[in-house]
Amino acid sequence: MKTMTAAQAVIVYQNNLKEVITLLKGIGASDGIGIGRVMIIAEQSLDYTPKQITDIDAELERYRNAVDKFCDNTMEQADNIRKSTGEKEAEILLGHIAIIRDPFMGGEIENLIKAQQCAEASVEQICKMFIDMFSATGDDLTMQRAADVRDIRDGLLSILLGVQEVKISDAPAGTVLVAKELTPSMTAGINKENIVGIITETGSQTSHSAILARALEIPAVLSVPNAVSQLSSGEQVIVDGKSGDVITAPSEEQIAEYANKREAFIRERRELENLRGQATVSASGEEYELFCNIGTPKDATKAVEADGEGVGLFRTEFLFMDRNQLPTEDEQFEAYKQASLILDGKPLIIRTLDIGGDKDIPYLGLAKEENPFMGFRAVRYCLKNRDLFKSQLKAILRASAFGDIRIMFPLITAVEELRAGKELVEEAKNDLRASDIAFNENIQVGVMTETAASGVIADLLAEEADFFSIGTNDLTGYTMAADRGNSDVAYLYSPFQPSVLRMIRRIIRCGREKGISVGMCGEAAANPMMIPLLISFGLTEFSVSAPSVLKVRKNIAKWTKAEADAVADKVMAMTTEAEITAYLETIV
Amino acid sequence: MVSKKVTLINSQGFHMRPASVFATAMGKYACNVTINFNGNNYNAKSLLNIIAACIKCGSEIELICDGPDENAALAEGVQMIESGLGEK
Repeated sequence: MKTMTAAQAVIVYQNNLKEVITLLKGIGASDGIGIGRVMIIAEQSLDYTPKQITDIDAELERYRNAVDKFCDNTMEQADNIRKSTGEKEAEILLGHIAIIRDPFMGGEIENLIKAQQCAEASVEQICKMFIDMFSATGDDLTMQRAADVRDIRDGLLSILLGVQEVKISDAPAGTVLVAKELTPSMTAGINKENIVGIITETGSQTSHSAILARALEIPAVLSVPNAVSQLSSGEQVIVDGKSGDVITAPSEEQIAEYANKREAFIRERRELENLRGQATVSASGEEYELFCNIGTPKDATKAVEADGEGVGLFRTEFLFMDRNQLPTEDEQFEAYKQASLILDGKPLIIRTLDIGGDKDIPYLGLAKEENPFMGFRAVRYCLKNRDLFKSQLKAILRASAFGDIRIMFPLITAVEELRAGKELVEEAKNDLRASDIAFNENIQVGVMTETAASGVIADLLAEEADFFSIGTNDLTGYTMAADRGNSDVAYLYSPFQPSVLRMIRRIIRCGREKGISVGMCGEAAANPMMIPLLISFGLTEFSVSAPSVLKVRKNIAKWTKAEADAVADKVMAMTTEAEITAYLETIV
Repeated sequence: MVSKKVTLINSQGFHMRPASVFATAMGKYACNVTINFNGNNYNAKSLLNIIAACIKCGSEIELICDGPDENAALAEGVQMIESGLGEK
């Protein structure tokens, strides 16, 4: 082995160093590319010397005037942000007024002033108390409130100290904002035309900064360590809001490369937006249903906003998790009804409780199993725990009076399970009839076909089910007998395995022969390589995550049935997964 | 003193908006209004106190009213929580 000379080592060190400084890594929180010049929003000094005051009344008045001014400013900012971004974002700011007007906050601050502490120190002390209290909860949403209180503290202190706030609204065109934290009041000043990127030292995908950046459609990279000290005002940077990269001192080539990427991104965003509100149709005119997968009633709003035509999979586990006891029938009814009302008549497929496997609910006291994926889970558990199952079915039935709700059983492997489930649905209906409670008499009951067994007996199940929905994640795992989490066997886990594709084709054909609708609610439904195959096999409904809706609509529109058939014929004649994916990569 | 146990059904739990709406409504009453959750008491007239309690969807809380108009306060408070705090 050769040793490096000192001079070589220095060069290597310098090269490494260069690499370190030219690429900063953060969390991509708002998609898109921004190329522009840095404007640092440095924190204003809010230092002061705490003092004892003598004229309590005058100090109280000074404090109250500051609060009034703070509320006026906040109202004005909320108005601006309402116009530029939307009502929801404005509400975040209006929340600041609610907090400062809270009797506890205001009352405690005034108590300190009455004890002769100056307004600045009083504000700081009480705000700190709440910041510490919220931060200590460890709860994501509550911890965000700490950021709000910090924002309020800084706003009040600036007013009390007469500090001029930086005017982000004056930023020139092509500005990349860099700040420790993007506060809601800062965002209020943002002029969408001039700000091309946002970089902060804190924040995550779900923080206010991220939500606001996405609403403003400004590329943002958050949680870049020491961004403020590492970057300087006026220097050129590239912000990649997808990868989370911030490139400093970019070369001409990099600028050209990213300018192209930005164009492509903007073009795609525009193309996708043009598809909003359109039907989902193939190039040869066949119509498809394009639904969303959701996990909470609130997600139904996201589905609607994403232009989903319904919900193809409502996972109900959220109702049962993070708590100490079973949800009541009423509680479940309210949740299903809420989702149904948000969807306003669009179909809502509710999957009954799918616990076990990797999803544990401690209070149910499920025994640890040697092989949980082959064990006591999902519909198997529900059919043995009839009270729990029936209360869920009754809740779903009651909600069916408020929209187009359908019931789906997970993990069906035998016709008896479907029959037993349907019998329980009938029992639940009888109970409701006896109590004169309204529900949809003709509610559809379908099967989530996600086991190898259900694929093989799809012809038998199709006789008794109202619809199928293919869960590709489990179907792939159970067909290949491979756990995708196990790196030694993960190479087997692919929906493009000839066996899995045959399974999918069989399920679709068996369903269609009996005239029932067949959907797919696994990740594969959004895969551009899978879409022509699904069109050819005869899938009728695609259910995907909300952000994928418009992309899938675009991908479906690319294919005529004849072209898709040609692709499927080739693929189904191939013998290996590698051959299939290599070919499909060339056609998308 | 009157009290009642209620379960929170709005999906976000007691957060900014619901807490604000609730604290404002309870602020109208002369009696003391307290939320007992996980063995701790929180002043229900203060949205900050309510938020700090981190009460999630599906949690059971006890609403306690003590004072001259306690019955009216309890009735309105329970009704608000049971109807999802305006978040349905």
